[in-house]
Amino acid sequence: MTGDDAAPCLNLPPGPRFAAVGAEFVRGAAAILGAEPHRGDRLALIAEEVLAASPPGSGPVSLALRDRRHAMRLELGFTTADLDLAGLDQARRRDVEDLAEVGLYLAARLADQLTTHPAGAGGLRLDFDVARSYPPRRAQPPPPGLGPVQGVPVEPDDATLALLVEWAEASGAGGTAFRTPARVLDQRAAGELAALVALDARRRPLGGLFWQSFGRRLMALSGPALLLPGGAGRAALATALLHAALARLARGSIQGLVVLEAAPDMPAEAFEVVGHLPDAAGGRHPVLFRALEEDPGGIAWVPDMLRGWVAGTVRRLGLGRDIEAPPPPARATGAAMAAETDRAASRVTLRPLLAAADAAAVALGNVALFRAQGFGQFRAVLDLGQPSHAAFAEGLVQAGLAPAALIPDAAGDLLLLATPG
Amino acid sequence: MSGFALERLVPAHVQAFEAYVPSPPDDVLRRRFGVAHLHRLNNNENPLGPPAASRAVLARWDEREAALYPQGDGWHLRRAIAGRFGLDAEQVILGNGANEVIAFVIKAFCEAGDNIVTADRTFAVYEWLASFSGIEPRLVPLRDHGFDDAALLRAIDARSRVVFLCNPNNPTGSWWDHAKLARFLDAVAGRAIVVVDEAYAEFAEAPDFPDSFALMARHPNLIVFRTFSKMWGLAGLRIGWMAAAPAVAATVRKTTISYSVNRLALEAAREAVWDEAHIAASRAQVRAARAGLGALAERLGLTMLGGIGNFAMLRLPMPDTVVHRRLMARGVMARAMTSFRYPGWLRVSFGSAPAMAAFGQALEAVLAER
Ligand SMILES: Cc1ncc(COP(=O)(O)O)c(C=O)c1O
Repeated sequence: MTGDDAAPCLNLPPGPRFAAVGAEFVRGAAAILGAEPHRGDRLALIAEEVLAASPPGSGPVSLALRDRRHAMRLELGFTTADLDLAGLDQARRRDVEDLAEVGLYLAARLADQLTTHPAGAGGLRLDFDVARSYPPRRAQPPPPGLGPVQGVPVEPDDATLALLVEWAEASGAGGTAFRTPARVLDQRAAGELAALVALDARRRPLGGLFWQSFGRRLMALSGPALLLPGGAGRAALATALLHAALARLARGSIQGLVVLEAAPDMPAEAFEVVGHLPDAAGGRHPVLFRALEEDPGGIAWVPDMLRGWVAGTVRRLGLGRDIEAPPPPARATGAAMAAETDRAASRVTLRPLLAAADAAAVALGNVALFRAQGFGQFRAVLDLGQPSHAAFAEGLVQAGLAPAALIPDAAGDLLLLATPG
Repeated sequence: MSGFALERLVPAHVQAFEAYVPSPPDDVLRRRFGVAHLHRLNNNENPLGPPAASRAVLARWDEREAALYPQGDGWHLRRAIAGRFGLDAEQVILGNGANEVIAFVIKAFCEAGDNIVTADRTFAVYEWLASFSGIEPRLVPLRDHGFDDAALLRAIDARSRVVFLCNPNNPTGSWWDHAKLARFLDAVAGRAIVVVDEAYAEFAEAPDFPDSFALMARHPNLIVFRTFSKMWGLAGLRIGWMAAAPAVAATVRKTTISYSVNRLALEAAREAVWDEAHIAASRAQVRAARAGLGALAERLGLTMLGGIGNFAMLRLPMPDTVVHRRLMARGVMARAMTSFRYPGWLRVSFGSAPAMAAFGQALEAVLAER
């Protein structure tokens, strides 16, 4: 767990005067927290660029550095949300006249991931994550003669979890989440991944299931990674892992489980298909969903051009939804989106940050920019519980994205858009 | 405004707790799911409604009495209940539903660092109330769909204050007989309060169902919960009660909220005590509905689980939460059981004959379109 009060932090005035001070603070704190020098430099540069670009009179800027183990996160807090975020939008061109905008643009590019949140009393927080790199290594295959299953799945200790990932990696089981044991341990230690593992009588891992948060009220499931040899036991093991995960998450805040890329052993009958996503190979695979709670119905704010698709999907899934037309955004300009890039998959995922009347153009611009940089796959996630998100839909559709899946959540369904294969 | 940091004022166990969001009212549900009528088979209500004498109280109620406070602790009703079960009126405590009585008991016996012991797959409110009161809920897995006495005993430690047994259990209908409950109380040997929640006891026809009021004499740590919501058809008026040995009742009384039970509930409940004809009619209705559901389960090839109570569970070949939604879209409300840690199961209350027929048709259609 990241200790909230343990994160080093500092307040500085906005503007270029103290930007270098902010950079030195971040560099020093990153070193003390154990980041390699090149990661510290990247984080320091981000702090410097954002401070320099923050407009005078916008109030003190808070800097905090948080060790997420598999990534270092620089949190920049502003007392007002009424900032010109245009420069943060990764789609803005580098050749813009305004130097401040270039600074923010650079900062956004230096991070592996940028997320924005509203922060207490009308403020805004920007989180810049810089990932740790793990040295490549050869995974050892599982020993012969594993099994049979003994007892119910458990939360594994570190050694068992590492062994599960090691063996899954060597045998190609479970999908990308089950790779690089050190990273998985870091993710769990940071409180960002939960794991259940089935054991045999000698307490050796036979299979596992992971979950990580996906939006506010959902979890994304990965796996299962099964190490048992073929046979009837595998399906029972997969179901036991899933049921244990459902029992673990029941009666809490989590409303449902999403599977964006199902491993072949995921028990499909325990899920419903809420859409399909194109994959890099040119095919399509189902998006699976499992609700934990009863869905009492809700409101979906849906722009006109998507109404037909959403209404059809709502009917097919038997969801109780009032489908409403969203009001136009209050702001005239300054719409922005966050982009999460995955170079290995050649994929960019876009999410609305701030809605304004120019949202469609901003969405279009984002896709164009990353396409020019060689990214081939685009996804966007719109929260239909947020009327303001609808403003981005038109631009996304013009850019070639189409609705792919509707992930039900009565408090705000998530509409997943994607470019065709 | 400045200086107000909400998080600083909220205890960690409240911050960590996720508020329970009740289902919207039926009119909103009907609109959202596009149906003209919704059969309520999700809350274990009595389709016969309250007994005739209670209905008469409601019908002749003088609306001017709404301006008057009720008597503060249910004087007359407590005497009526005590008379029926051979108790002293001081042993009986009323609440705004049995749910409120659960809160009284936890407040009376638990402080930070304590724990309660109950099952993982039972009525949720014991677990919830403990969690948001900063008390650890120890959840013991059911064994063969029933409370596991040996495992519960193992879970009790020096900081265990209350053991909650749900007998018969919601949602499985499993139950302990008199001898088993007596043995359990012997084994607990007074180390903790033992609550037996008998919300569905009036549906029990088996002669060896516990006579818990009799056990109370030998086991002063025993508390029995009952409710007027199930057999007595007064769920909408919110009234339940508990009984315990005098010293235990006197302790719980300290944490009760006087005047929390309204006039109408007190009067209607008093007339309901103890209408044997109503019990007989409700049991007959439950028997008929259970037989009908059993036949449906057999025809559809579904496993049915039940015992005592006006409900049963069905095991589905698809996610319960999906079936729940699709039944809603066909005008039937049943309870998805994933949140009771029974993924893939549905709990159905024994409603009226037309409601059960509508359920059967809707379920068959939902399974067919899979
Ligand atoms: C086992 C059990 N206890 C208590 C209650 C709550 O009863 P009341 O309506 O009196 O609050 C219920 C209601 O469903 C129940 O099933």
